[in-house]
Amino acid sequence: MPDGWELASAFAQFLLYLGVLGSIGQVLVRVVFVRETGGLRDAMTRQATGLAILALFAAAIGFSLKGAVMTGESSGMTDPEMLGLLWQTPVGTAFVLCVTGLSLILLGLRLPGIGLPVAAAGGLVTLWSFSLVGHVADTGALWLRFLLLAHLECAAFWIGVLSPLRTLAGDRENLSGATVLGQRFGRIAAVTVPVLIAAGIVMAWQMVGGIEPLLTTAYGLTLIAKIGAVACLLAAAAANKLRFVPAMRAGDGKAAAGLRRSIAVEWTAVCLVLLATAALTTLQGTPPEGSP
Amino acid sequence: MKAILRAAMLVLAVTPALAHSTVDTTSPEDGAVLAETPPQIVLTFAKSIRLTRVLMTHDDEDPIDLDLGEQTAFATRFELPVEDMGNGLYQIEWRGLSGDGHTMRSAFTFRVQ
Repeated sequence: MPDGWELASAFAQFLLYLGVLGSIGQVLVRVVFVRETGGLRDAMTRQATGLAILALFAAAIGFSLKGAVMTGESSGMTDPEMLGLLWQTPVGTAFVLCVTGLSLILLGLRLPGIGLPVAAAGGLVTLWSFSLVGHVADTGALWLRFLLLAHLECAAFWIGVLSPLRTLAGDRENLSGATVLGQRFGRIAAVTVPVLIAAGIVMAWQMVGGIEPLLTTAYGLTLIAKIGAVACLLAAAAANKLRFVPAMRAGDGKAAAGLRRSIAVEWTAVCLVLLATAALTTLQGTPPEGSP
Repeated sequence: MKAILRAAMLVLAVTPALAHSTVDTTSPEDGAVLAETPPQIVLTFAKSIRLTRVLMTHDDEDPIDLDLGEQTAFATRFELPVEDMGNGLYQIEWRGLSGDGHTMRSAFTFRVQ
């Protein structure tokens, strides 16, 4: 069983994923759906800012908690020797890139004119930091790092649309806003979701290496839990695309409430996916080659 | 939100054993039964790591820190002197950091009788 420091470290990683993907997602959605989200600009900027600050906080706490994991006591969080050691590894480089990227996002959200491209560039820098540590980095394969980047961009885009879509679906006076956003996102998701899933399958296969380790190792079982949460997410998304959005387009006012409930389910599934990912990246080693 | 937090704690709590523990061999071996306390324990790893803390617990007594001495660099083999505490169960818990930044932790036991 993981000890308390390891659990805390995994939870900080979960908050980091939530903050990073949520803030970058909001930026991407604003870039792609300029007209559809025009009325939500201020609210989305506030939310993206809050999520980026959450990510900064989680990155700093997560780095510090690794010091506690290394010593097994709270003093490790501020132990210069432990944190200095960590700083010299790729974890230190990833931390610097992550903080730089998040700072660019925050700057971009404040800048008029070129703000969104700056924030989007900051998002890329932040997401790239995830490819420097963890199991993908361990393989040493550059193509896997780019695959991870594509996987994370698509995931962020999906997460980013949830809040604006839910807000628009709650506006009974103007349901067409949610309908148009839902339809346009559905068309783009027909490309990004398969990319997201295909990239995930390829990376998982590279990490696990076969069906047997998937069923018999801690890493494999945690991965199965993640796949289960992804299946729930896909089911809710399919209900949105095939049932609620078409019904809203046909003028069914009750469908908007269904869409909002479905998005709440999606949020829960997203959190479970990110939790499982945090467990995979902080608590679990990949199965060794030739493992049962 | 409460449901999400409850699910969060459940997912993390049921996560099986910590991995990233790529210790190759230990001396004594895990579960070994010995006639007398060995003068030292040896940890050998497949890849270089930096040991950050090693605790030894004898039976139900409080754990004590084992002195890492000069062994404060990345290496694949560590030899740590052990204090003879008589017969009983010895548990060694070690923590470390791999060169690629993974934190590592594992434990092994041996019995002296």
